[in-house]
Amino acid sequence: MLRRLVLAVPLIFGISLVAFIIANLVPADPTAANLGERAAADPETVAAFRTRWGLDEPIHVQYVTYLGNLLRGDLGTSIRTRRPVADDLGRYLPATVELATAGIVIALAAGVTFGLISAVWRNRPIDFIVRILSLIGVSAPVFWLALVALLVLYLRLRIVPGPGRLDAVLAPPPTVTGMYTIDSLLTGRWDLFRNALHHLILPALVLGAYSTGLIARITRSSMLEVISLEYMTTARSKGLTERQVTIRHGLRNALLPVVTIIGLSYGHLLAGAVLTETIFAWSGIGRYAYDAARSLDFPAIMGVSMLVAIVFVVTNLIVDMLYFVLDPRVRTGEAR
Amino acid sequence: MAFSNGSTLTASDVVFSFNRMKNLKDNPAFLADTIASVEAPDDLTVVLTLAQPDPAILAKLVYDAFSITDAEEVMAQGGTDAADAAETDTAEPWFNDNSAGTGPYMVGSYEPTVQTILVRNPNYNMGEPPYFDRIILRNLPEAAQQKLALEAGDIHIAMDVSADQLPSFEGNPDIVTFSTQSDTLIFLLMNQNPDIGGPMSDKLVQKAVRYALDYEGLRTLSGVGTNTPAAMVPLGFGGALDSSEGIARDLEVARQLLADAGYPDGFTVDLRYPDFTYIGTEFGVVAQKVQADLAEVGITVNLVPEELQTSLDAYRAGQHGFGLWLWNPDYYDTLDYVEFLPAGVVGNRANWTDDNADAEILALRDQVKVETDPDARNELFREIQLYEMESGPFAPLFQPGVHFAYRANLTGFNYNGQWRVDLTLLGLAG
Amino acid sequence: MVVGLVVCLLWFLISLAAPWIVPYGPLAQDVTNRLQPPSAEHVFGTDQLGRDVLARVMYGGRISLPAGVLAIVFAMVIGSAIGSVAGYLGGMWDEALMRATEVFMAFPTIILAMAIAAALGPSVLNATLAMIVVWWPSYARIVRSLVVSVKSNEYVEAAYAIGASKRYILTRTILPNCIAPAVVMATLDIGNAILIFAGLSFLGLGPEPSAPEWGRMVSDGIDYFDQWWLSTFPGLAIFTVVMAFNFIGDGLRDLADPRTRKSQR
Repeated sequence: MLRRLVLAVPLIFGISLVAFIIANLVPADPTAANLGERAAADPETVAAFRTRWGLDEPIHVQYVTYLGNLLRGDLGTSIRTRRPVADDLGRYLPATVELATAGIVIALAAGVTFGLISAVWRNRPIDFIVRILSLIGVSAPVFWLALVALLVLYLRLRIVPGPGRLDAVLAPPPTVTGMYTIDSLLTGRWDLFRNALHHLILPALVLGAYSTGLIARITRSSMLEVISLEYMTTARSKGLTERQVTIRHGLRNALLPVVTIIGLSYGHLLAGAVLTETIFAWSGIGRYAYDAARSLDFPAIMGVSMLVAIVFVVTNLIVDMLYFVLDPRVRTGEAR
Repeated sequence: MAFSNGSTLTASDVVFSFNRMKNLKDNPAFLADTIASVEAPDDLTVVLTLAQPDPAILAKLVYDAFSITDAEEVMAQGGTDAADAAETDTAEPWFNDNSAGTGPYMVGSYEPTVQTILVRNPNYNMGEPPYFDRIILRNLPEAAQQKLALEAGDIHIAMDVSADQLPSFEGNPDIVTFSTQSDTLIFLLMNQNPDIGGPMSDKLVQKAVRYALDYEGLRTLSGVGTNTPAAMVPLGFGGALDSSEGIARDLEVARQLLADAGYPDGFTVDLRYPDFTYIGTEFGVVAQKVQADLAEVGITVNLVPEELQTSLDAYRAGQHGFGLWLWNPDYYDTLDYVEFLPAGVVGNRANWTDDNADAEILALRDQVKVETDPDARNELFREIQLYEMESGPFAPLFQPGVHFAYRANLTGFNYNGQWRVDLTLLGLAG
Repeated sequence: MVVGLVVCLLWFLISLAAPWIVPYGPLAQDVTNRLQPPSAEHVFGTDQLGRDVLARVMYGGRISLPAGVLAIVFAMVIGSAIGSVAGYLGGMWDEALMRATEVFMAFPTIILAMAIAAALGPSVLNATLAMIVVWWPSYARIVRSLVVSVKSNEYVEAAYAIGASKRYILTRTILPNCIAPAVVMATLDIGNAILIFAGLSFLGLGPEPSAPEWGRMVSDGIDYFDQWWLSTFPGLAIFTVVMAFNFIGDGLRDLADPRTRKSQR
């Protein structure tokens, strides 16, 4: 466990290096792309721009400067929005965290239920249906799913609200965490809470579809493996009902592999946000990343990729700890 | 007259705002080119001295860059109207989240590409108080989203309705549509600098492109309300040529011109454009149409869509070799279209300068700028347009129709080519 | 699995034979017949430039299938080579390599691919390159762990004993034993790669705008909700192809792993 914690440090360092290298692959000259009319014609302004962004320094010096700033929480200034990247991320991250968390909650609840149903009634019609559904979940492009869902559920059936985090006529709640559902609760605005929740459901469902499918598949196969094990038979022979056996002994052990992929799924959800936030007009870091990539806004690209990667590393660390707590075998086997 | 922070507007604020706009040397500064000096002899008088006759100066002054801001407030936020404002003014970040004007609404918050919120100006004292507490300008990037949100009653006006969507609003009693000809000119830019434009800098190639375009198809594509201007002056402006005087597609002529230019087998070129939709015109779709049209005369076009701001910056810096762009009038006078001539704002973006332009067009340009007699002006504009059809780095594509749809209970809807919708006049019935 | 194979083969055939199946070219515009709903003449309708959607969907496989397959094949080859060398040599090399792969794998696939594709500039080649960069580490890791476990087997030690060279042992005795698991994993990944590729081109980081590519077509259709056929059909194409590869991958995995074979039955 300790080893994993210690390893996270060089890992995050490595992440910053990779992000930096990618951002410096940019073949287009950012000077040209990011200066206005008056400026590009004026050599002095161009020189000032290059100095400001450190573009004249040798590449390794640029990296050291970047790292130094990074440690002070300075991710540079976005060329597109002309605001500090750290501020931008702070502004957009809560919306995405809200969405991804809702997505993972839905995926876990639905995935585990489906997987369990599928394993218990193995090879029955219900198993077949669930397996097809989970295969659809992992095979359908998330952006297409988003469109089709909007088309059917919003346009035709009108059972969910349209794109956006709130109805356009409503003003967001005062910012506490930046997550509308939580902020509206904290400030006692039930109307806003209901509206925000309503707007959250469809994007979260769509975003969680892949993870739901994945979790259902894993729950099913690990449940099947557990069911056939000896201690289940022992439990049965002790006179417990089939339901007690399944839930108390089977599920608890079958969920271990599921726990390990929560971290993975969370990263997947953050990434999926890039493909869906634009469709749902969700002003989170997914949409921010998309805009940044398209305008070759390298400080912003670096900021987002690093942030997501670090969130990913941290969630995985937390998941590992969770696993450590849940599974006695890992605890005792922690000799390496 | 009071600013939104309560302080009183005086002539010195006007002087400050005009000078700051001019000295920031940013994109709209060209509007102030003819202004020699601005002075305020007393609190209620502003004296504007021009460097040369400018028949369009009054039309220019209503452009939003000439907005009058509170000098004291702006200076407190790092603004300056000094000659070196371009380097020393640091008020931009503050202006991103605030405003310092006298209008009925002021900026509440601004999130680029997401939304701008205008809130009631509590100190507004020029007539009826503003109707709304807040006006939200929400960026719903897809026209389809705007339509859905409007139908659901989530928004009151959809600004980017496309011609394709108009029929679907018919018979809906809750929604009113409004269509008119826009003043927007969609055009192709071909850079005069051979290092940037490559083959596109060749006069004959430029003319060949004008003959190769399928204007009729482009009109069909853009839908109802679309017209094709003959040259770079849109229909509706004094002196504009009629559509019928424009170029008709002729592939033979185009191929011959290409052969004369030394490209009998055509060539390959990048077409750079902002990947966005403006008043129902999807630039990506228009670019693909241009690509297909030019393919017929042997020109292979690679499409290079760019993020709006990035693309705009490169275009303004004169770095687009072959670009697809739009122009909206800055002020309501045909003189605004002199910007498409050598050393004009758009002319410069195509690197069309006094050095590489011929004497004929330079003479026409200089004459029309100072001519004040209406008939003589129209005659000069006519000659300029005939020249543009023959020569020059631009090809007009079309002038789209503009369509709005709004909830039937919205009152005060109005259209103006420059502001599009004056939000301050809006209210709700019942 | 059989269904998957059939669907896959069908898609390969369709994209190869497209010119002989549909009378329209994927780029042929006809603006007077734009946005026509599906009909006998245009089975999937026409798009905003009057192009036949069916033709574009069929030709679409010519871009997405090779991109997905090649990205994974290259990632597998490069990853396996690096992984096997590291696993075989062990020590410092091994440690350094594993740390490097962890760094790459810390980025969610689409984020890393997006950053790389954006940096290199949008094109099919660059999107494919980006996917190779994203995927090689997982192959390096799996092959490395296989090599480490195979290395200690008796027959390898026997090969040492008879004096075989290191290179011989690695390429002739160790690697063949690692290929099967890598191939199974690759089949499962091809579906994913096609999804990521579609995602990249959905974001405008794939082929150029007029190219008939599925992800691109879905994104072009966003603006036309009333014309549902624009994005529905290309989306279905991605979906069926990915599902087919997942079927094949699942099947192969079951075949390769007797343990799951037993429990799946």
